[in-house]
Amino acid sequence: MKNRKKIATVWLGGCSGCHMSFLDIDERILDIIQLADIVKSPIVDQKEFPYVDLALVEGSVTCDEHLAEIKNIRAKSKMLIAFGDCAVMTNVTGMRNYFPLNEVLDTSYVNAISNDEGGESPSHPCLMKLNDKAVPLQEVVTVDFVIPGCPPDADTIFYVLQEFLNDRTPNLSTAHKLKYG
Amino acid sequence: MNTIHVNINNIEIPTTADKTILDVCREHKIDIPTMCHLKGLSDVGACRLCIVEIEGMNKLQSACTTKVADHMIIQTNTDRIKKYRRITTELFFAERNHVCSVCVANGKCELQNLGYQVEMDHVRYPFLFPQCEVDTSHPWYVMDHNRCIMCTRCVRVCQEVEGAHNWDVMNRGHAVRIISDFNTPWGESTTCTSCGKCLHACPTGAIWPKAIVQGQLEKKPEIIEELIEKRKMHDGF
Ligand code: SF4
Ligand code: SF4
Repeated sequence: MKNRKKIATVWLGGCSGCHMSFLDIDERILDIIQLADIVKSPIVDQKEFPYVDLALVEGSVTCDEHLAEIKNIRAKSKMLIAFGDCAVMTNVTGMRNYFPLNEVLDTSYVNAISNDEGGESPSHPCLMKLNDKAVPLQEVVTVDFVIPGCPPDADTIFYVLQEFLNDRTPNLSTAHKLKYG
Repeated sequence: MNTIHVNINNIEIPTTADKTILDVCREHKIDIPTMCHLKGLSDVGACRLCIVEIEGMNKLQSACTTKVADHMIIQTNTDRIKKYRRITTELFFAERNHVCSVCVANGKCELQNLGYQVEMDHVRYPFLFPQCEVDTSHPWYVMDHNRCIMCTRCVRVCQEVEGAHNWDVMNRGHAVRIISDFNTPWGESTTCTSCGKCLHACPTGAIWPKAIVQGQLEKKPEIIEELIEKRKMHDGF
């Protein structure tokens, strides 16, 4: 079949809830793989990000690693879909944006009530470096389609995939599938 | 009062000149989104969602503060109006911190519903992420400025219906805030009677009772008008 498409699903600054919801399409995943191969995903063992037709990206861009990753994904994806509220509008991951970064880190690692005493913010060079602000995907790359929702409903995810895989453009409004939260 | 005729979305409608465009539209099931309007309270034309086009006028007018006039020709849903409504809605979301997934009003929020109504799938403007206060000093209620859209329904209900005038407005632009008394904690208010009307009038998750958790908020904004009607009945005796 020469028209088989390639799908990737990635999670950046998110909680994996969107991916859980993706798995909630249950046996309908069989309908998806009639039309496409899932070539990169937390449920696929593939290290490098390959060239794909559709990339579903969960989560916001919170650190240097995410920024490099989303740029690589953008370069290799025909269509980039912001997947879930964090990817679309930062959602919970953006709640740290109201405060300076050092205050956020100190609150978690130094001043946390659960700390016995002392404690320091992690700074090992092999760890990713948090950016000052978490930002939605659209702030750093061009996004072609968005699926808001925390998480988006499985029905919505299936609807969007099915439309794109059949070369149609989904419309969340007319399909009554818009949802935040 | 004499009957006049207006034309709304190419339909001739007989009505009277004491009504606003919004009144006439609501009576005839013509859908116009609103946020700052609440039946029973005075209208201030603040949210700019009810904007309509009136033939012969260049500027868009707010339907809630514009009275109908004989032979007025009105459009309520042109592409231009839809464009501005969507922009306005996006700016509500960009200005403060609306995190629906952890909000008490999730699923029952007028702002959320407005987003769906204007087909907002994302916000095209950068989020401001302001540091907003959450005032938990009142024994029963919370005021979360993160979710306030400055519709001033709380201010008007407190002043016009309860007569307490606890709430007011301070500052301008995006520094604008609702304040309790002279900008003191709500719990220390000398004017608030704890009647809870502002809670029901508030369209978002900004004012809520402490006794509930995420997504459980039940608001009854329609009780404000009911109250006013009941009072009129009693005044008649
Ligand atoms: S007030 Fe409404 S729009 Fe704002 S976070 Fe809460 S549910 Fe979302
Ligand atoms: S607290 Fe609620 S009612 Fe008061 S101005 Fe803000 S959104 Fe409107």
